[in-house]
Amino acid sequence: MVYKDCEIISNKEIAQGIYELCFVSAQIAEAAEPGQFVHVKIGKGLDPLLRRPISICKADAGQGVISLVYQVVGRGTKVLTEYGPGEVLDVMGPLGKGFPVIEGKCAVIGGGIGNAPLLELASRLRSCDAYLGFRSQGYKVEEFNACCSQVQLASDDGTTGAKGFVTALFDSLKQYDAVYTCGPKPMMRRVKEMCKRDGVKCYISVEERMGCGVGACLVCACKTQAADGSLHYSKACKDGPVFDAEEVMLDE
Amino acid sequence: MSNMAVDIAGIRMKNPVMTASGTYGFGREYGEYFDLSLLGGIVVKGLTLKPREGNKPPRIAETPAGILNSVGLQNPGVEYFLENELPFLRKHDVAVIANIAGNTEEEYCAMTEKLGASVDGIELNISCPNVKEGGVAFGTRPESVYRITQRVKACCKVPLIVKLSPNVTDIREIALSAEEGGADALSLINTLLGMAIDIRTRRPILSNIVGGLSGPAVKPVAVRMVWQVAQAVKIPIIGMGGITTWEDAVEFILAGADAVSVGTANFGNPFAPVEIAGGLKAYLEANEIGAIGDIKGKVMI
Ligand SMILES: Cc1cc2nc3c(=O)[nH]c(=O)nc-3n(C[C@H](O)[C@H](O)[C@H](O)COP(=O)(O)OP(=O)(O)OC[C@H]3O[C@@H](n4cnc5c(N)ncnc54)[C@H](O)[C@@H]3O)c2cc1C
Ligand SMILES: Cc1cc2nc3c(=O)[nH]c(=O)nc-3n(C[C@H](O)[C@H](O)[C@H](O)COP(=O)(O)O)c2cc1C
Ligand code: FES
Repeated sequence: MVYKDCEIISNKEIAQGIYELCFVSAQIAEAAEPGQFVHVKIGKGLDPLLRRPISICKADAGQGVISLVYQVVGRGTKVLTEYGPGEVLDVMGPLGKGFPVIEGKCAVIGGGIGNAPLLELASRLRSCDAYLGFRSQGYKVEEFNACCSQVQLASDDGTTGAKGFVTALFDSLKQYDAVYTCGPKPMMRRVKEMCKRDGVKCYISVEERMGCGVGACLVCACKTQAADGSLHYSKACKDGPVFDAEEVMLDE
Repeated sequence: MSNMAVDIAGIRMKNPVMTASGTYGFGREYGEYFDLSLLGGIVVKGLTLKPREGNKPPRIAETPAGILNSVGLQNPGVEYFLENELPFLRKHDVAVIANIAGNTEEEYCAMTEKLGASVDGIELNISCPNVKEGGVAFGTRPESVYRITQRVKACCKVPLIVKLSPNVTDIREIALSAEEGGADALSLINTLLGMAIDIRTRRPILSNIVGGLSGPAVKPVAVRMVWQVAQAVKIPIIGMGGITTWEDAVEFILAGADAVSVGTANFGNPFAPVEIAGGLKAYLEANEIGAIGDIKGKVMI
């Protein structure tokens, strides 16, 4: 696990309000599993105080480069857009439990900024279809095209692919050995239901507000169900962010 | 060479820097970043008699230079701690303090008995703002502070630290009650009760509605309270609340603390407690101060 200042190579807007930031870290690129995240300190001062969790979009072990794709939603991500090449970013990572890479035919189903964490995974799966939903403008579509057998697109306003929800792009998921999903909760809930109906293994990446990011403070609680049916709060940062769909509740 | 060692009512530590309960789990996670033996002490996550799942998320809200948390004492229970977490901590040369919280005086005593002499000290958490029963209810009235301290002290085999709530009108009164009840040391402050509202949804950010404020935002309140308590009592004081740098630690010691605890600062910088210990040592040496104790309470009024 790394904790240090990493040099930024680029930080550019790739779709409206969505940026890609690339930084150098041979160690993180080497160690990263798809679905893991880094915990980033934005700004030097006491405000914003907390680090921000951002998923690893792409880890290029050959070049020693990590790519993050982030959406500007609040103060932290706004300040992050002001970083330029040559500046350093204070990064901890890779953190959390990522997606298990399964042999066989798989699908990744993403929504909004939740498409980003699926790219590294898609590139490592031997056989993968991608269903990507966007608000309007798409991003990283060519890169999904380059590593997936089939890519289908949807957007809320019809700018990218079909107009409507990404979950309307398929009726059944039966053809897959595993499905991976990341995005808005209602979308993931729908994917979870469909996988359950079709008897397909499903992995979900959750988002919870975080403090430490390493498993020490218990603020990132995510409701999970154990094999015996009992409910618990797991740590999204350490036990997740990726959970088996059978396990994660998605109800709060 | 300045002497960094401190003795808090019999708890001997190689340096005065500890980590605050609830921000440091049981040490394992941060132990991946550095050798925990570099710390003076570790105060573990608040324990209860039975495992607790804690409050619904969201449990954290960021506020200017601070955070609100409403974890609600999620923990695996005192027995699990003894069997599965303490042995790991014991592999390190570091003082281990168990922080305990209960719903009744009997629960506090039962936990104290179970812990016996397995830890170096017990911190009585009567100041958690995030649980409905117990917790802070014990910590805000002088009579109940006196009573619970006395009862737990009677069955406590190790030094007893009473952790004070800042959510009171006069902290000196509470501190004195704990001292009279038999506390061996005091620690302060726990979090300040606060609230944050999302103006877009008009809902509180925390699902518990209110939570405990910590981090740099609370530091001036904490320094003031440590100073006031130091005037009032004779027992040692562990100061905390927003400590992020060694300069902050010096400020608490000048106000009257014998040792300090680092909480929220760990989230930003996992090395914070180690850097604070290093900075304190350099400060003592640069100023030719023989020992930490030499500057305790030396604020010039
Ligand atoms: C494991 C994980 C991976 C993530 N990966 C990405 C990613 O790849 N790209 C991306 O754009 N975003 C990602 N997010 C969400 C991202 O962390 C938030 O958008 C970001 O923290 C918002 O910060 P802000 O200061 O701009 O917003 P503010 O609303 O000002 O933040 C205030 C506080 O709330 C927290 N917060 C706000 N929104 C979220 C959220 N959705 N999830 C968790 N915490 C939040 C912030 O961290 C901060 O502590 C991820 C979240 C998690 C938990
Ligand atoms: C996430 C979190 C959890 C906490 N849990 C506990 C706890 O279980 N028991 C306790 O006595 N104090 C708990 N505290 C309070 C801290 O130990 C400390 O008193 C307080 O945060 C002030 O110090 P700081 O500003 O350095 O964090 C918690 C604080 C935080 C931020
Ligand atoms: S963020 Fe601290 S335990 Fe997950």
